[in-house]
Amino acid sequence: MHPRLYNTLRYALIVVCGLVLAVPLLFMVSGSLKSAQEINAFPQPLLPETPIWQNFADAWNYLTPQVIGNTFIFSLGIVGLQLLISLPAAFALAKIPFKWTAVILTTLVVPMFVPANLTLIPLFVVTFQLGWLNSFAGLIIPMAAQCAFAILLFRQFFVTLPPGLIEAARIDGAGWPRVFTSIALPLAKPALATFCSISFLTAWNMYIWPLVVAPNPAQRVINVALAPLAGGENSVISPAIGLAGAVIAMVPVLIVFIVLQKWYIKGVVGTGLE
Amino acid sequence: MTATPLTETPLPRAEALRPPEPAEHPSGRRNRRVDALTATLFVSPAMLAFFVFVIIPAIGGLVLAFFEWDLFGVPVFVGLDNITRMFVDPDMWQALGVTALFVIMGVIPTIIVGFVLAVVVNSNMPGVAAWRVLYFTPMIASAAVAAIIWVNLYNGRSGLVNQFLALFGIDGPNWLSDPTWARPALVIMMIWGALPIVIILYLAGLQRVPEDIYAASSLDGAGKWRQLWSMTWPNVWSTTLLVAVLQAVGFISGSFEIALIMTDGGPLGTTQSLALYSYKVAFAERDIGYGSALSLFQLVLLIVIVVVARIITRLRKERS
Repeated sequence: MHPRLYNTLRYALIVVCGLVLAVPLLFMVSGSLKSAQEINAFPQPLLPETPIWQNFADAWNYLTPQVIGNTFIFSLGIVGLQLLISLPAAFALAKIPFKWTAVILTTLVVPMFVPANLTLIPLFVVTFQLGWLNSFAGLIIPMAAQCAFAILLFRQFFVTLPPGLIEAARIDGAGWPRVFTSIALPLAKPALATFCSISFLTAWNMYIWPLVVAPNPAQRVINVALAPLAGGENSVISPAIGLAGAVIAMVPVLIVFIVLQKWYIKGVVGTGLE
Repeated sequence: MTATPLTETPLPRAEALRPPEPAEHPSGRRNRRVDALTATLFVSPAMLAFFVFVIIPAIGGLVLAFFEWDLFGVPVFVGLDNITRMFVDPDMWQALGVTALFVIMGVIPTIIVGFVLAVVVNSNMPGVAAWRVLYFTPMIASAAVAAIIWVNLYNGRSGLVNQFLALFGIDGPNWLSDPTWARPALVIMMIWGALPIVIILYLAGLQRVPEDIYAASSLDGAGKWRQLWSMTWPNVWSTTLLVAVLQAVGFISGSFEIALIMTDGGPLGTTQSLALYSYKVAFAERDIGYGSALSLFQLVLLIVIVVVARIITRLRKERS
């Protein structure tokens, strides 16, 4: 085949396959602006005739500012707390000579292979016993404690810091906390970008944990508020309103994803797979 | 539901487990004590959290399976009762069947489609990087967002899926409320959600296939299809095995949120997997012990899958 024709066909294939995968999300955006008649019509028009912005105002009544605020507290709380506990631990495990390093690393790795839903019940029991149901502590702390991934990610980064750099600082009289805050942390920005994007998106998208731990409206997060809008065929709420809610829920995710896409995907592929 | 679901968790490299290089000790023993003290201080908050919310629940899951408990009263030790109850529970058998069907219907198409799409999008042509982002979009839809979208797509009256089928003169079912079609509908949706990770993994795998084997085989007159089937595919075998295990785990345990939101296990229990069943037993019926036993059973299934995958790897290594 002629190379130019081949390239054109190949390019077309790339675009078409990508669009097919994106159809559900494109439909979400288009459907969120349809009138109740349009979204229930057969055949359904692909695009709304006039965008119905009212759908977003209606969705906003279900996803109140409080829900959005709760979700930010929840997600940023998890990210922040994980950074706080994981970074020093990762640094110590990478750079400070310590006889327990190997033991700790093995302890961290093994439970990573147990899927989360298998420990859901006992994790809920622990949180219940601590009296943390319907509280931000119960929402955030048990999830932030799932920090093995964060520690291993940061550690892998700290390990690559040249030993000479740290020795030089040590010989100059800098204590470990100083080396950590003034040398290791400033250099860790790429690892921070990777981690923050993954951790934030994962937390923002959580559903089961907030559902079982904090069903009260005071701590309700966005996915718990959103799920009932999935409705189904007998729902009284117009599906367009549910789709508008879905769009609202995705805005922060999209922003983080677009800005940190490169780092996010790097982190997902992981350094361990090559 | 944790911050790091398995599919998003890179496997740690072997060297990650190696202790760090011994640092210089400019002034001997005192420094070593400072090192140990600082290291302890640095790791203890994380280790405390890890112990309370990872280790204890992991052990707790094993222990709870042998108790009967409604969360409020006193747990009663019942020995193997929860385990034996599983085997005479028709709901458990149905859930096990649903789980098996999810895995069978889900894993192989995910592997094939994911591989093909990765090959399609693995190109250095200018502008492809931007289009590639489209391939990753399903990954950022949460279970709730995906549920809302797909409930609409699957709607029997006005859903786009049935409109598309109508183009070919096919009268589509009410997907999610039809006992025959609810399961395939959820599987298709879960495949859609799983594809980005699979594509990313295969892209990483494809980049490790040495370029020169293609040049050599071109000289020998191998066409593109021939190269794809006899060179690319065998060269990403280790990725395929990894994807198969990750997806099997994903289809067994990961996606029960979607079924919970969209069908609540129905119609007639046809989408109630073991994961969803154990969730319902524990949280709707407040039967913590039996729910834990069901979770434990899933863990056994997962261990079997991982062991089988290891055996396959070893056999292949021995053959080559």
